[in-house]
Amino acid sequence: MDKKKPVSELRRGVMVFLALAILTAVEYAIGTNEAPTIFLWVIAILKGALVLVYFMHVTRLSGSEGGHE
Amino acid sequence: MTTPATTLAKQAYKIGTARVGLWLFFLSDSFVFAALLVSRFYLLGDKRPHLEQGLGLIVTSVLLISSFFMNRAEVQISQGNRKAFVTSTLITMLLGIGFLVGVVGFEWGLAPFGPADGVEGAMFFMMTGMHAFHVLTGVVFLFIILRNGMKGRYGPEKHWAVEAAANYWHFVDLIWIFFYPALYLIGTV
Repeated sequence: MDKKKPVSELRRGVMVFLALAILTAVEYAIGTNEAPTIFLWVIAILKGALVLVYFMHVTRLSGSEGGHE
Repeated sequence: MTTPATTLAKQAYKIGTARVGLWLFFLSDSFVFAALLVSRFYLLGDKRPHLEQGLGLIVTSVLLISSFFMNRAEVQISQGNRKAFVTSTLITMLLGIGFLVGVVGFEWGLAPFGPADGVEGAMFFMMTGMHAFHVLTGVVFLFIILRNGMKGRYGPEKHWAVEAAANYWHFVDLIWIFFYPALYLIGTV
């Protein structure tokens, strides 16, 4: 079994979580300080893209990645 | 005669079609949430409901952390680590219940309006209610995979149900990523 894969996947999960946490903190700061709404939309789209790509693995739809029963 | 190569090809095809089916469900369900999001801006415009900012941030953080543990659970079962899978799934479930308590138990009670008190109340309760219902069904889904996982029914080569449950949980998180700013941050009170 490839022992490098789980470590890198778990590490990637941590990195994505940290990115989402930082973006949420920035979002909160912007939202409670009456900053332009466009920034909130940009952050929401960025967070959504991170979840779609790294947590939901949308790329699995187009290939044979993650083959199991 | 069925060769191992044929069996593998059949499995890959089965998983491929199951994934397409799941994502078609996500697509159709997202139209409901998109309609709610558009309605919020059409009906309330630049005005936002008067809500507890601190509580909104807490429930958002709880859901975010739960997504982290859900991802961890999926990675662990794909590597055959059943114990870590069970622990991560259990934490995800508890955080999901925590989110429900925060929104339905506290935020609904603290909101200075009811569901029938104008468009503000109607939008807030419809958006959070619809989302909370999805979180609840996600918790049920997690309970099923947790129970099956404890019975040793999943492994590195067989965990489609875990992948589906994880994707559903992340989908619910994805919806909240757009609902949170729409309800709590965008506009003025």
